[in-house]
Amino acid sequence: MKFSGTTPSALAAIGMALLSGVALADIKIGITVPLTGFAAADGKSALDGAKLAVAQTNAKGGVNGEKLDMVVYDDQASPKEAVPAATKLIEKDKVVGAVSGSYSGSTRAASAIFQAAQVPYVVSYAIHPDITRSGDFMFRVSAMGEVQGRGGAKLVSSLGKKKVVLITLKNDFGQSLAAGFKEGAAKYGITIAGEHEYSIQDRQFGALVSAVKAQEPEVIYASGYFYTAGPLVNQLRAAGVTATIIGQEGYDSEKFMEIAGPASEGVLITTSLDRDSTNPATKAFLADFKAANNAGADMVAAATYTATQVLIDGLRKTGGKGGAALRDAIAAGTYDSAIGKLSFNDLHEVNKDLQVQVVKDKSFRRHSVISDPVLLAAPTKASR
Amino acid sequence: MFFVELIAQSLVQGSIYALIALGLTLVYGLLRILHVAHASLFTLGAYIGVLTYNATGSMVLTLLAAMAVSGLSGVAMFRLAYQPILKQPPHVALIASIGLFIAAEECFRIIFGASGLSFANPPLQGQVQLFGGLQFKQAELAVMGGTALIIGMLGWLQTRTRIGVACQATVSDPQMAESFGIRLTMVRDLNFLIGSALAGFAGVWVALLNNLVEPTMGSVPSYKALAIIVLGGLGSVPGTLMAALVLGLVESFGTVYLGKVLDRNAIAFAFLIVVLMVRPQGLFAKR
Repeated sequence: MKFSGTTPSALAAIGMALLSGVALADIKIGITVPLTGFAAADGKSALDGAKLAVAQTNAKGGVNGEKLDMVVYDDQASPKEAVPAATKLIEKDKVVGAVSGSYSGSTRAASAIFQAAQVPYVVSYAIHPDITRSGDFMFRVSAMGEVQGRGGAKLVSSLGKKKVVLITLKNDFGQSLAAGFKEGAAKYGITIAGEHEYSIQDRQFGALVSAVKAQEPEVIYASGYFYTAGPLVNQLRAAGVTATIIGQEGYDSEKFMEIAGPASEGVLITTSLDRDSTNPATKAFLADFKAANNAGADMVAAATYTATQVLIDGLRKTGGKGGAALRDAIAAGTYDSAIGKLSFNDLHEVNKDLQVQVVKDKSFRRHSVISDPVLLAAPTKASR
Repeated sequence: MFFVELIAQSLVQGSIYALIALGLTLVYGLLRILHVAHASLFTLGAYIGVLTYNATGSMVLTLLAAMAVSGLSGVAMFRLAYQPILKQPPHVALIASIGLFIAAEECFRIIFGASGLSFANPPLQGQVQLFGGLQFKQAELAVMGGTALIIGMLGWLQTRTRIGVACQATVSDPQMAESFGIRLTMVRDLNFLIGSALAGFAGVWVALLNNLVEPTMGSVPSYKALAIIVLGGLGSVPGTLMAALVLGLVESFGTVYLGKVLDRNAIAFAFLIVVLMVRPQGLFAKR
């Protein structure tokens, strides 16, 4: 059954590959993504998402009759690897545009290089505010940390809860979420009964869990990635903590349920991928990703797929040309994407709804959607 | 109550540190090598543990398999990487060790995948209620009990058996021991076998407590175990055990009371620096 759908497209891809040999030079785009090191799991997801977008484009005839060629560099989610990776993409591979499928630290470092070379850089899920501040060749398809944090506070208030303990991952991601959450908490009259921080290498939270338990919160707002949040949630429940746990898009992976096991049931997350979406673009992405990778998509894959599509869409408009023309084409576009309807503001950030998903029977399902254009407004050039 | 819980948690953490650091201190005592790659045997044990349990569902088999594979790999590491360079200055072995460790991490990633493995149905996850609301995971109790048992056995082995005495003799004077008919290679092999098996044993328990085994799970233990053996007075087994427990305590209380200022690993190293300023020979060194 599955094969009847894939064979023609596979044939088409082979056909395109053969054709492109005699056609014009390929259009080169780049991606910086962590393929080794601590973030390698997210990097693999991101790359799978980006590859899907490129393969789909090439299967449909490429851009302007030319095949897309994606050059991949491993940045290990580390600034010191990201700088040479970005430089190579620009100087050696001469890419017309690039995608970040990586974390904030490395993406921030790369953004300055791409900006200086005037190569558009579409960022998928790195949420540090400084990235789009690097300049007008930067674009970001996901909601910034502060915005998601404010949304988290609204979620707590809509659940009718008041007493929250924060468990914050000590990096760009966790700290910007905590800042946004505290801002929102003040607005909704939420009491913060305690604040804890942990490092990205921590997997054993014994002491921290004891401290949280003693503070008796109604809600725990815990930032982290699935590989920290899985053990954390598991250990919180094992110690008998029954408070509602709210996480964010870092939890958004099937691995989270695998690691936390039954403890994951009922955990809420704010993210950008809605598994129960009725949006055709989201449904198509979820199905295509599953067919291509034999695994369910996560937020990282969806965001990187979308970022790659945004770049490709811009290239279609410019006929494969980069530089300022590509920047303007991307900025002017509106996108009906796997993570919702997107358009960029003057700082090249997106405004969109926040999806709340809940873990039910070992998978993420829709819980609610936070739609609040004022609270969830992305920063603009004027606002900072 | 909260204090009791924190102390209990530091015992769990301290037990794990003790298991990992013990192998390292054995190797250091015998060969004066800072065996950084020891932590990769901890990771290896965790992987073998998850794979064996998911295949067989038997915790006994899981522990045996993890200890056997880690132990034998430790011996292989010694034979292939360290033995040929024993005559070189110690930093040569250290560099080899760091190289081995990095290579092992990448091998784990290539073989087992970047996103790590978990138990399909992790055992020993039930709750045990003790007095006054103190609650433990069964696995947490098991790791404390298991560590005490193993360390007790090791102590008996070292002081009451011929082979243990041979080990001690080799540590204090290898040439003299050899001239008394002790086979140095056998003692060294045995040392690596036992130390590495303990690391594998620790790996299984950490895998069970976190339900996650990742290629990089050895990176923190690799340097923290070094800190522990320095604290314990390089090469001293009882010192290492005490240092592991003390570090568990410092980290538990530090995480809660200093967590906003310093993270847990920073607390551990700040403690190490302070101790070394006051007692440069380590907390428990005799010499």
